[in-house]
Amino acid sequence: MMSKSMKVTAIGLAIGLCFASVAGAAQKAGPGQGTKGITGAGATAQAAKAFERASAELYPKAKQEGNLVVYSVWDVEHLRIISDTFMKRYPGIKATYWQARNPEIVTRVLTELQGGQSSFDVVLSDNAPSVIRAAGGIMSYETAQKDVLLLHDPGIPTVSLQIQALAFNTRKMKPAEAPKNWEDVANPKYKGMIALDDPMRAGPLSSMLSALKTQWNDDGRFNKFLQGLKALKVPVHKSTSAMFRLLVSGEYNIAMPALLHDVMEEMHKGAPVSYVKTNPPVLFPRHAGIYVKSPHPNAAKLFAEWLISEQGQKALDSVGRESSRIDFKSKTSIESAFGKGAKTLPVTDKLFLEDPKKWLDTFVKPVWEG
Amino acid sequence: MPLIASTIAGAAIITPVIVVLWRSFTTGRLGFTVGLNLTNYMRVFGDKDILPMLSNSVIYAAGSALLGTGVGALLAWIVARTNTPGKGLVELMPLYPILMPPIMKNIAWILLLAPKSGILNGMLNQYLGIDTPVFNAFSMAGMIWVFGLACVPLGYLFLLPVFLSFDPSLEESAYIAGSRPVHTMMKITFPLAGPAFLSAFVLNLLRGLRSFETPVLQGTPGNIKVFVSRVYDSMALEFNTGLATAYSVILIVLSVITLYFYVRATRFSERYATITGKGYRVKVIDIGPWRYLTFLAVFVYFLAGILIPFIVLIVVSMIPYFDYETFMSFPSNAVLTNYFTVLKHPSFVTGLYNSLVLSVSIAVITVLAGIVMAFTIYRTRAAGTKLFEFIGTVPLAFPPLVLSVGLVIIFLGTPLYNSLLALGIGLFVAYFPYAFRNASGSIVNIHKELDEAAWVHGARWRHVFFKITLPILKPSVGGALFYIFIEAIRNVDVAVLLTSPGKEYGPVTLFEYFRLGQWAEAAAGGVIYLIILVVAVSTAKFVFKLRFSL
Repeated sequence: MMSKSMKVTAIGLAIGLCFASVAGAAQKAGPGQGTKGITGAGATAQAAKAFERASAELYPKAKQEGNLVVYSVWDVEHLRIISDTFMKRYPGIKATYWQARNPEIVTRVLTELQGGQSSFDVVLSDNAPSVIRAAGGIMSYETAQKDVLLLHDPGIPTVSLQIQALAFNTRKMKPAEAPKNWEDVANPKYKGMIALDDPMRAGPLSSMLSALKTQWNDDGRFNKFLQGLKALKVPVHKSTSAMFRLLVSGEYNIAMPALLHDVMEEMHKGAPVSYVKTNPPVLFPRHAGIYVKSPHPNAAKLFAEWLISEQGQKALDSVGRESSRIDFKSKTSIESAFGKGAKTLPVTDKLFLEDPKKWLDTFVKPVWEG
Repeated sequence: MPLIASTIAGAAIITPVIVVLWRSFTTGRLGFTVGLNLTNYMRVFGDKDILPMLSNSVIYAAGSALLGTGVGALLAWIVARTNTPGKGLVELMPLYPILMPPIMKNIAWILLLAPKSGILNGMLNQYLGIDTPVFNAFSMAGMIWVFGLACVPLGYLFLLPVFLSFDPSLEESAYIAGSRPVHTMMKITFPLAGPAFLSAFVLNLLRGLRSFETPVLQGTPGNIKVFVSRVYDSMALEFNTGLATAYSVILIVLSVITLYFYVRATRFSERYATITGKGYRVKVIDIGPWRYLTFLAVFVYFLAGILIPFIVLIVVSMIPYFDYETFMSFPSNAVLTNYFTVLKHPSFVTGLYNSLVLSVSIAVITVLAGIVMAFTIYRTRAAGTKLFEFIGTVPLAFPPLVLSVGLVIIFLGTPLYNSLLALGIGLFVAYFPYAFRNASGSIVNIHKELDEAAWVHGARWRHVFFKITLPILKPSVGGALFYIFIEAIRNVDVAVLLTSPGKEYGPVTLFEYFRLGQWAEAAAGGVIYLIILVVAVSTAKFVFKLRFSL
């Protein structure tokens, strides 16, 4: 039997190790990027208070502004539910949105920026806000609830996460036969079974590669992994969702990577898919970036704060979007999907986030297309 | 007057083109101005992957255009000129596939032809014991098959008016000289339809060269890289419209080469005139027992063009998830969840209404402007009108996103920005080439003697245009209106940058599921969309006796 003091030491050690691993990743991250490791009830209560304070301060000013215009890559029905819930909480603000894909959002925003237009307030997306920030289009704003965020950027509030998982078709392979982790996918025994997201586009696989590169900090290992993937000569997809549907259909045994919410949804329907639970999930931030020429900056800040608040996160969860908070429990939260204390792979490389093309040309292209 | 109208239309079309071309010399990454330089072009011409990609693009686009325009021409000939049984049905069967958007065809055919999980390969394995995949959606042949099917409607709608307005005396002369029907068809009928065929072929070729969905969904997994992916990467990865435009210039060069051959082939336009001053009635040819084969041909196209993919989509929309076993278990596992999801979509109705109103208006304006421009080129003596041949087609060389950036730059800071009018102008620019090429293909078939008779009697241009040209072009006007309306109502790419926040445009909603890769919901939305259009077309045909260029 373990003594009480030994138990405390063991738990402490485990927590310490966990913290060290996540913090390690954070140290290697670019300036201004970072991950949080531990939080508790205190942090939750503090965040709630911080939110109420921000809300009380911002709402009267936002009410005077009266409107909020959001550009987003998210589904229209998600945006409708989220904006309706926001307007219910803050009836003095009328929220409207424009939905498009990332290239279209970046193109429109930067064209409007160059034209000096004060046309919108918030850009709600994954890749777009960092790219727009690099072009000078984002107003720096640090959320008051930063202590509860899994991934925190002091200049752009992280309101949700894209979580990537290693998925496989359960009719095609047993869990024991599936790769143990991302690196194991490059094993030649999986040749003919795998489909990859295109590593040369700013998509999930390239963001995963950037996370692995940051974590490994070992160019030799990174290049060997890429060479291993290339040697598999596997089908490459430019649409992660289309690739995932083909995994479900049995066209492929393994999809690298799949989005956790897609996997969960299909598992819920009884589809023959599962994911490797012991493999660290990749976390990509979804930001609410405030436009530098925002005509309603207080409404924009309030919206970002509200999205991170418990009510906002519940609204996001209700449409299947993953929470950005450590303390938020849902079926797609890290703790539920990967177990307590699971390691994660955060995407924090500044160059990748702001100029994915340059990052890919520097680190992936020489091996992948060489 | 036609020259002024054409100049205004031409200016509306060429202005965004000039804007994006200018930016290709002046900008680097979006948001940054780098001054006048050739960096983008140096990158394009220094790209070592261009030639193999271009070669794939040409094979894919030419193969699809040839298949689509060829089948379209054959169908038009069967419908217009033969005594194929079941006339009412035969007239309608080639029309229905037009209603199915290309991306729906892509997904349905991927599910049918995927090597390991495809329905057809599964059936061959289950019922015939063939365990090696026979079909492969992720191959060049698979791509040409699917995009070729999407090219058929243009071929059909362009060729049908020509065959319907055919002076039978030309064929009768051949018969009197002892020519057999098939020989007459090959030597007289089809060559006279050459300009319209070439017009449709040129359009389909350019559509193929810049098409993105089929290469992305079917080409990339098969490691088939096409040129246009460079254009999209410039936008999606680098956010560099200047570079995307520089890459698009290669498409412009290809367009100019294609147009050069077209203009050369049709330079003696009176050779192709099938509509002359003599009165005639279109003659239907008795093809004997072959008529059953022609019926079968129309039916096979109907099966491949819409019925089979439609059935696949209906099943996919009603099963919990797609794999071969689940598909084959239908209907015991049918659920309606996806339909509830789509119908609950917040902007399903409002978006559809907005796009309906806009699409009808744009179809009418664009088709009229296209005819006026074609009239200016082929029926007036003004100098330099051949330039319109290029201007009227050039928007097709630009990927829609690049073109709409040009429009955004023009409208930015004006009251037009974020207005419905700006969206209308965007759609006009995008669909003008279809209206124009359709009109020019048809106008070439009208002999100048009809106009000349009017000119001799002192008619002014408006009399010639409204009393002679327009009435004779009625069948092709109907076809073009129908085609542009159907295309505009499902347009996403051009519309997306020009829609203002808070104002939904229908297709953005409907095709959101396709864009997001949610195939089950997409299938349900597609089925609803198709049912609405099929009912509308059938009602128009049978209740209101409307004729779609027939």
